[in-house]
Amino acid sequence: MTLANCILLASLLFSIGVYGLLTRRQAVAMLLCVELMLNAANIVFVSFAHFRGGPGQIFAIFALAITVAEVAVGLALVLLLYRKHGDTAIDLASETKG
Amino acid sequence: MPPWLHIFTLELAVLGIALLVLLCDALSPLGARALGWLTAIGLVAVLVASFAVELAGSAPHGVYVSGAWVLYFQRLFLCAGILGVLGSIDWLETRVARRPAEYLVLLLASLVGMMLLAGVRDWVLLVVAFELMGIPLYVLCAYAKLDGPAREPKLAAEAGLKLFVTGAASTALTLFGLALVVGASGSSSLDGPQSANVSALTGVGMLLVLAGFGFKIGAAPFHMWIPDTYQGAPTPFVAFLSVAPKAGGLAALVVVLLSGWSRQHELWAPALAVIAAASMAVGNLFALPQKDARRLLGYSGIAQMGYVLVALCARSEQGIAMAIFFIASYVFTNFGVFLVVHAAAENSGGHSLDEIAGLSRRSPWLGAALLVFVLSLAGIPFAVGFWAKLFVLLAAYQAGLVWLVVTGVVLSVVALFYYLSVARSTFMADGRSAEPVRSGLPLRAAIVLCLAAVVGLGLWPGPLLAEATRAASAFAGGP
Repeated sequence: MTLANCILLASLLFSIGVYGLLTRRQAVAMLLCVELMLNAANIVFVSFAHFRGGPGQIFAIFALAITVAEVAVGLALVLLLYRKHGDTAIDLASETKG
Repeated sequence: MPPWLHIFTLELAVLGIALLVLLCDALSPLGARALGWLTAIGLVAVLVASFAVELAGSAPHGVYVSGAWVLYFQRLFLCAGILGVLGSIDWLETRVARRPAEYLVLLLASLVGMMLLAGVRDWVLLVVAFELMGIPLYVLCAYAKLDGPAREPKLAAEAGLKLFVTGAASTALTLFGLALVVGASGSSSLDGPQSANVSALTGVGMLLVLAGFGFKIGAAPFHMWIPDTYQGAPTPFVAFLSVAPKAGGLAALVVVLLSGWSRQHELWAPALAVIAAASMAVGNLFALPQKDARRLLGYSGIAQMGYVLVALCARSEQGIAMAIFFIASYVFTNFGVFLVVHAAAENSGGHSLDEIAGLSRRSPWLGAALLVFVLSLAGIPFAVGFWAKLFVLLAAYQAGLVWLVVTGVVLSVVALFYYLSVARSTFMADGRSAEPVRSGLPLRAAIVLCLAAVVGLGLWPGPLLAEATRAASAFAGGP
């Protein structure tokens, strides 16, 4: 296992997250894709810290805490969408237009 | 008490107000009006205190540096907070009368995040402050009562979700980029790599971070969320959302690019110039066909951020001073215009341009206020927006960015079309409704404050310009 492999893995995860975010139409699935992207960042942090030292571990812990707060709000918003529409398809949320 | 704690006096005071509001709400049902005034008066007291208290200094390991630069932004955020609270009181009382305290507390929490942003010199602190600013905004966006009038809650849920998805994705972009930059340099300090040539991995990381910032400040091509969010979220909150987080994002962007990564400017300067030009073009051209006042103002805001970025492209101390002068002018002008739109729409029932037409017959003073704000946004002389645009373009010209200056000037002529058509329909056209506009005292007070700032600074830009120059030189010269 080398640093390059870890970064490659993280990049792949990140790309899958971006792809899913752009193609998925369910709000919960989009939330999961954002999670993938955020965790890819954590893998990079931790693998740099493992192979080269530095503040990566601390950064990853802070990133985790922030992610949790963000996802809590995100799930609340999905719940709000569900209560208004009875479904969580993101296409329901397209009433604004210009 | 550690000897450096005094540099966080203002943030702690704002946090104190938030706790006080929560406490008052828990102990006795004061109602939206009393809590709102309490918050506004508290913020005014903090603003006054910022002139009296000694705040300069730095936290251990230099992770946070306070001084003239930070104070300039903190006062601006406090002004935005005061206007935001005053503008929301009537809306809170009529629409969400049973839970006004959470709205105010979330607004104050976001304000604390912004106030921290300008002084951070460490990546961990920067990310935390950014999220402290951002996460309350997602909640506030969807803060319409579930059983409110017809489409309002649905639109608010949509607005909140769109802001959340773009915001969370941009956080992920920033963090992934940061992981590459911080991992390679081995330090979480904002001072970037020493050499101008960085590895490809660090370069990619820097550009990802720049894209993340682009989302936060709503610059093209990262602007998709702006019009939809502005249309769906509660209008008094949109007034706050359209100015304060952008000023916060700008403060962080200046610190990161011109202090941390100043040696790698060959990498990010071209990208920044393209983002600036694209924002001016997309914002001004897409604003032309808009029928909804909030969407139009959203696109106009994208264009205005483009002008700010033009000043950053100059990479000079003067450029920084002009950028922060511009953002101060933008805060007061855009706040005012959104609050006038809100006041007009509360009576006529809609935010479309047709429904705002003929506003001067329904309320001459609101019509006049709208005219002043729109002319300031368009950059007509003797409103503060004129000086802001002029100074920004001058700074870019002196840095030799002629193509950006030409783009900016041409597109601000295009902008005249839609700004003046709003002004024309306010005064000339017959509106759908002839009912006189009634608005509450706090909302009127907020509009008058914005009006005073726009006209006052338009006639005497000197004091603010001197402050901005002082802040920029404090920034360039270290703490």
